[in-house]
Amino acid sequence: MHLFVIYTVTGITNGMVYAAVALALVMIWRATRIINYAQGAMAMFTTYIALVVIRHGAPYWLGFVVALATGMVLGAVVERVLVRPVESRPPLNAVILSLGVLILLEAVAPMLFGGQTQSFPVPVSNIDLVAGTTQLDISPFDLFTIGAVLIAMLLLFLIFQRTTLGLRMRAAAFNPEISRILGIRVGRMLTLGWGLAALLGALAGMLAAPAVYVYPSNMDEVLVFGFTGAIIGGLESPVGAVIGAVGVGLALSYVSGYVGADLAPLGGFAILIVVLMLRPQGLFSFGRQRQV
Amino acid sequence: MLEISDLTVAYGGVIALDKVSISVPEGSITAVLGANGAGKTTLVRTISGLVKPRQGSVMLGDQQLVGRSPEAIARLGVGHVPEGHGIVSELTVDENLRLGGLWRRDRADQRVAIEEAYELFPPLRVRRSVHASNLSGGERQMLSIGRAMVASPAVLLLDEPSLGLAGGLLAQIMQRLVALVTERNLSVLLIEQNARSALSVADRAVVLSLGRVELRDSAGRLAGDDALRHAYLGF
Repeated sequence: MHLFVIYTVTGITNGMVYAAVALALVMIWRATRIINYAQGAMAMFTTYIALVVIRHGAPYWLGFVVALATGMVLGAVVERVLVRPVESRPPLNAVILSLGVLILLEAVAPMLFGGQTQSFPVPVSNIDLVAGTTQLDISPFDLFTIGAVLIAMLLLFLIFQRTTLGLRMRAAAFNPEISRILGIRVGRMLTLGWGLAALLGALAGMLAAPAVYVYPSNMDEVLVFGFTGAIIGGLESPVGAVIGAVGVGLALSYVSGYVGADLAPLGGFAILIVVLMLRPQGLFSFGRQRQV
Repeated sequence: MLEISDLTVAYGGVIALDKVSISVPEGSITAVLGANGAGKTTLVRTISGLVKPRQGSVMLGDQQLVGRSPEAIARLGVGHVPEGHGIVSELTVDENLRLGGLWRRDRADQRVAIEEAYELFPPLRVRRSVHASNLSGGERQMLSIGRAMVASPAVLLLDEPSLGLAGGLLAQIMQRLVALVTERNLSVLLIEQNARSALSVADRAVVLSLGRVELRDSAGRLAGDDALRHAYLGF
């Protein structure tokens, strides 16, 4: 029973990191009908930048802010410079382009930051809390991870649902042509959407780094698990993506705890396959079937 | 005043509009009639910037619209009610109306304009927080026109508002439209396949055929002259 609690806490914590990636993927999918395979590599890159900032003596929090800010800029630049020109072409063009960005970033990172694996600091202790004599099985960093992703989600929800900027962004994503004839600058909204998604990705990068360490492909697995969560959630639904990603986190944690850590990635794929076989549109998708 | 002159549009090598010239004076409705494929929808899409013309000009007052983006044209005062309503069905009625005036700087103005849209089409008010996908055809049309009006346009382009509407409801919406035109001194370009309905509210009418202007006359005369009506409109 005690082990179950430990695996559950680990699963939820990791799942929240996957959820941030999943949500970023869903935001971009909804706005531009593209799977951004570079999401993980972009997060890797901004984590490196944070590491450079921190290594130069700056406090963790400055590195944190710099990572999120450069993430947002990077996302906006990728949309504006690379994705926009192929916007009217078949979606495969943009998908290949995002794979190109992934390869480029993973190739450039070792040139700029060195190829060796580096450790990454935590802002708060990652040793489990103790209340009196009882071990609580959850560390301050776990709480920080869960809290940071929850706050980011809440802020995004408020931006999208409660501000006119969010209304514009939703309209531009749902119906770009109608939005344009209503005077909405759809291009800017898409750039901003990519920026916000990449900011969320950068957050995931910062939260994953202490555990997965920092190296050019450190986010590959996180991206795959986040992607799995997003697919399970139906790719359309932000809530579905979060639930799907946390589910993936839990499943991986149980598999790795009870069966063996080597098999954990297989567990992720097993869920993906089962979900796609039983409900190919995802668990939280209503309406049209997705075309593969 | 909207002044369309020598507008030519081609899709690939196919000419969709061939040197079309139409002027739409303020405070009046100009109907553009014609069969399917006559180029009616291409005409409004070109005016609102969604289609780039090969040549010709569209002047709104002293502003040239050709070459500007759809969002810039909307901000200059061209309201477009697209074919098939063009509401954003994932958003609520209220959100759709807000979209109409989002680019306007003055928030108070926006609220007044949305309130006016509800007064114009009271059925929308009771359904304000309903997702637009749940609206009936008539309500969608009201929402689309109401939303265009929220931006206080100088020109209103209506693309087949009669599509899928019952006669009584259509007449009601058209009546509101006529009242708006005089009240706000609007220039309206009314695209219709339903010539009977269009001629009953329009001041002037233009008949398009295969991308060319076939006939241009006052709506009253076109409606009243059996021979003309029969020859050009088939009823």
